[in-house]
Amino acid sequence: MMSLYAIQLECLISIWGILILLVDAFKPIPNKRTVGYLAAGFVAVALLYSFAMQPVPDTFFHGMFRLDPFALYFKRLFLLALAAVLLMAAEFSPRIESGVAEFYALLMFCAVGMLLIASVNDFILLFVSLELVTITFYVLASYLRRQIPSLEAGTKYLILGALSSGFTVYGIAYIFGTTGTTNFDKLAEILNSQTGPPASAFIFGMLLVLTGLGFKIASVPFQVWAPDVYQGAPTPVTAFLAVGSKAAGFALLLRVLYTGLLPVSLSWNALIAVLAGATLLYGNLGAIPQHNIKRLLGYSSIGHAGYMLMGVAAVNALGAGAVLFYLGQYAFTNLCAFLAIIAVTAATGSDEIPSFSGLGKRSPILGLALFLSMMSLAGIPPLSGFFGKFQLFAAVVQRAQTDSKYYVLAAIGAVAVVISLYFYLGVGRAIYLQEAEDATPIVVSKPMRFGLVVCMVAMIGIGIFQRPLVHASIMAAKVFSLH
Amino acid sequence: MNHLIYLYGTDWGMGQFPICSVWMILFTPLVAAALITLLTGRQKGLSAALSIGAILISFALSLRLFLLFALKGIQHHPHPIQWLVVGNTVRINFGMTTDALALLMLLVVTGVGSAIHIYSLGYMKGDPGFSRFFACMSLFTFSMLGIVISSNFIQIFIFWELVGVSSYLLIGYWFERPSAADAGNKAFLTTRIGDVGMMLGILLLWSHAHTFEFTELKAKLPTLGLPVGTLALIGALIFAGAVGKSAQVPLHVWLPDAMEGPTPVSALIHAATMVAAGVYMLCRISWLILPSQTALWLIAWIGAITALMAATIAIAQNDIKRILAYSTLSQLGYMVMAVGLGGPTQAMFHLTTHAFFKALLFLGAGSVIIALHHEQDIWKMGGLWKKTPITFWTFLIGTLALAGVPPLSGFYSKDEILLLAIERNPMLFVMAVATAFLTAYYMGREVFVVFFGKPRDYHAYDHAQESPWVMTLPLIFLAALSIVAGWYSKVPDFLGPPHEAQRHSSLLTGGLILVPLFGFLVAAKIYWKAEPSDAPVKVALGNLWTLVENKYYFDELYHWIIQYVQGTIAIVCDVFDRWILQRLGIGGLSVGTGLLGRTVRLLQTGSISGYAFLIGLGVTVIIYYAVVR
Repeated sequence: MMSLYAIQLECLISIWGILILLVDAFKPIPNKRTVGYLAAGFVAVALLYSFAMQPVPDTFFHGMFRLDPFALYFKRLFLLALAAVLLMAAEFSPRIESGVAEFYALLMFCAVGMLLIASVNDFILLFVSLELVTITFYVLASYLRRQIPSLEAGTKYLILGALSSGFTVYGIAYIFGTTGTTNFDKLAEILNSQTGPPASAFIFGMLLVLTGLGFKIASVPFQVWAPDVYQGAPTPVTAFLAVGSKAAGFALLLRVLYTGLLPVSLSWNALIAVLAGATLLYGNLGAIPQHNIKRLLGYSSIGHAGYMLMGVAAVNALGAGAVLFYLGQYAFTNLCAFLAIIAVTAATGSDEIPSFSGLGKRSPILGLALFLSMMSLAGIPPLSGFFGKFQLFAAVVQRAQTDSKYYVLAAIGAVAVVISLYFYLGVGRAIYLQEAEDATPIVVSKPMRFGLVVCMVAMIGIGIFQRPLVHASIMAAKVFSLH
Repeated sequence: MNHLIYLYGTDWGMGQFPICSVWMILFTPLVAAALITLLTGRQKGLSAALSIGAILISFALSLRLFLLFALKGIQHHPHPIQWLVVGNTVRINFGMTTDALALLMLLVVTGVGSAIHIYSLGYMKGDPGFSRFFACMSLFTFSMLGIVISSNFIQIFIFWELVGVSSYLLIGYWFERPSAADAGNKAFLTTRIGDVGMMLGILLLWSHAHTFEFTELKAKLPTLGLPVGTLALIGALIFAGAVGKSAQVPLHVWLPDAMEGPTPVSALIHAATMVAAGVYMLCRISWLILPSQTALWLIAWIGAITALMAATIAIAQNDIKRILAYSTLSQLGYMVMAVGLGGPTQAMFHLTTHAFFKALLFLGAGSVIIALHHEQDIWKMGGLWKKTPITFWTFLIGTLALAGVPPLSGFYSKDEILLLAIERNPMLFVMAVATAFLTAYYMGREVFVVFFGKPRDYHAYDHAQESPWVMTLPLIFLAALSIVAGWYSKVPDFLGPPHEAQRHSSLLTGGLILVPLFGFLVAAKIYWKAEPSDAPVKVALGNLWTLVENKYYFDELYHWIIQYVQGTIAIVCDVFDRWILQRLGIGGLSVGTGLLGRTVRLLQTGSISGYAFLIGLGVTVIIYYAVVR
């Protein structure tokens, strides 16, 4: 029974997804928007329910599954993202030619994979849940199957994703071969008991696993897919990639690095730090010449992976909490941006940045939402992004007290922040300073308006009253034995 | 129980005065300003009543406090409120000084202020911004009272700036007139120049003494053993604040322009309060200035030069209020000179009497202006004494008092300063006597041209009538004070030990009485005729007349400085900014980043096999570095 308690959220979402499929097959509801709103509403209820759940110290399913504060933190984050993405999908549904219900259901199944990822405590479950997420994303990315960009996005994601999955499973085999276990806790025990540097074969396996995770979070050098897929995929899928998939990647990365591989942290932290710096520069520099907002956000998501990798590389309690906080606020910020983009694209049919000109006048709420989210992504106080970046930099600087090379990382991060101002402000300039060619007002539906307001309030609220989220992220980060 | 004593004093019996009432003197006008701004802005009558009621309450409380002190010797020392503490070194209190000096000044500010507030009821009648005017007046009163009661340098500086702000609001009250808005700006900016010096002086003093409190500083200063140069520098820097606020040369240019404000504002700010704040501050910190001969010397000379220069300018002005403005400059010069001669007591005495008669003169001028429907050119007036008798007689009293004709108040206070000057510095005495002569001359000119002779604008003359009682009553009240204020010979003693210059010879006093009479005689000779004109004086003075008529070209000089010096600096900065910073710095950075961005984009070819190759390459490189090396 306890095992069932542990996976109740996963069960709930799966059942609801299957129900949508069945109802649509036997008694279709003509208005697909309503179905989307209903699904979003149900997920919102599940999100509220998740706050009633308590963390459990035990593991489940033979040590594979955990329901600790860390897992719950991520589960709530994924449910939030799912609810918002379903809302977007409902707005987006007129552009999907067929299989709208399946679209919703796939999003939910994908989210189930993410919910599992939050609790992963074993390489086997890691691979299974990761594949559940990735394979549904292959389908989702190419869902607009008559549109070449969407198909192209799906294909690219499929091929490159398969490549990285191959690396991952190969790496898991090496780790199992050298240590004889796939369980994170046992792995940590074994590594702790060893003296001297770990074996080369083990390091080789570890690096291959990290490759797969690097692909998920779009870190250099596994980031090449991100701009193309972000641009080509249907916008709700892009949003889910940016918020859900990225958070899932970080959940795995933190879990693997900070439990199983924590004893050998000295053999990976320098690598993560170097990758963080490279990712920061690549994402922020690459974003400068972009004209398409989804592509811009693709590069931006690479850049933000870089920021969060800074926190991972710090290997301290402050850094782990900072990454969690950053992911939390990043979800609201990015969802806000994508909600606004979907509403604008629905009206203009274009997601090129010039088509956002004069948005402030065409729809004040959309203009404000997009502007605020850009400013939050750029890290301008008092929005939530500022405090997120602040914590990450604080973590790196703390680490730099003992290892002064980390100051270089902090400096690269600072340069990246300055560069990022340039292209985020470019979007802001289009919204408020440039005249629209077509000045007809854009109508925003009520659920959309609600979603936007929630995200904006969260962005400003978290920026000013950081305490609740900081508290939650610190509690979640306490599951790792970091200092 | 302790906090009750703290708030309300120790004894509720007769003769005692609840301490909270002392605070009420200060805060009642602020409350009125807030209420008018927030609540009663639409009800004009109620707004005016609040403002006038507030200052009357302050006046009554000040009077009571003053009488308790003067008659019974009871003094109150409210505890300072600790306001800001930074570490161990910076302690800033919000305190209250109620010594003789402050009490006298409180009385002057609230007394003259009350008369002016009531007068404004009539003067501002029908103005669209009536409520705003009274809110600003109350805010100004609060700020000014704040300066008076301040017990430390930071507090006085804060209120000092508040006075600047509220005077900016009042001078630019008719902001739709560009000249008024400009005058507000000019007043604010010019006084700010002095304030910067004052702040530097305060900080310099603090860096040696580590306290801002007046009482502590006064006790500590002799033990610090400051070098003479430092002491003089501190004195001169703090004096710079007074130069700005009290409109001394070379920062005097704002005061004549400030006449763009409504006349009650001119009376309140430019006669009794704001401009007097500089002199008051010098008296408040006389213990700091008196030990430094250099600072005293500087202050005395600046004051004397201002007094004489402003008086010469006043003889060639044509605006009824501007003449009074230059006269104010001149009298402030007297007061500053008195401080510089080591006589803060005499300065305060003259400040007090001057507040009465100069406010009276301004209000009288306002009454004339209203009677002639906002005509300010004295050459378009004439023969008004029959039409506006009360205004005429009170204006005449003010004129005589200002000129220093016995037995009016101005005689006594000016006499004190002149006697001080002859004793300490004969050169300054000569300048002061010349100023006294000129004062009588230009005031005589104003009176003869405005009130006597034939009316020059018959249309305006025919419609002219005496102002309503809300305006004439304050005139009478101030006229009475202008007469009697000097009689109470204890006023100077009230502030400190009697000065030895009391032992002056009757011959000298007799001589000094003749100076203003001589001035009036000359003025009468030239201007007391049916159709007076400046022509004879112009011929007699020649180029000198052009010079004083153009106010010694100070404005032009400053304009030139701003245009060329500041302009040149601006051009240099602009070139630096445009070519060095923008082209090379920012431009270089932006082009560099842009190029990098394009390079990154080159990697993004869109070909899957290329991407897969890049990922494979990445993995290989990572593994090579981590495992093989």
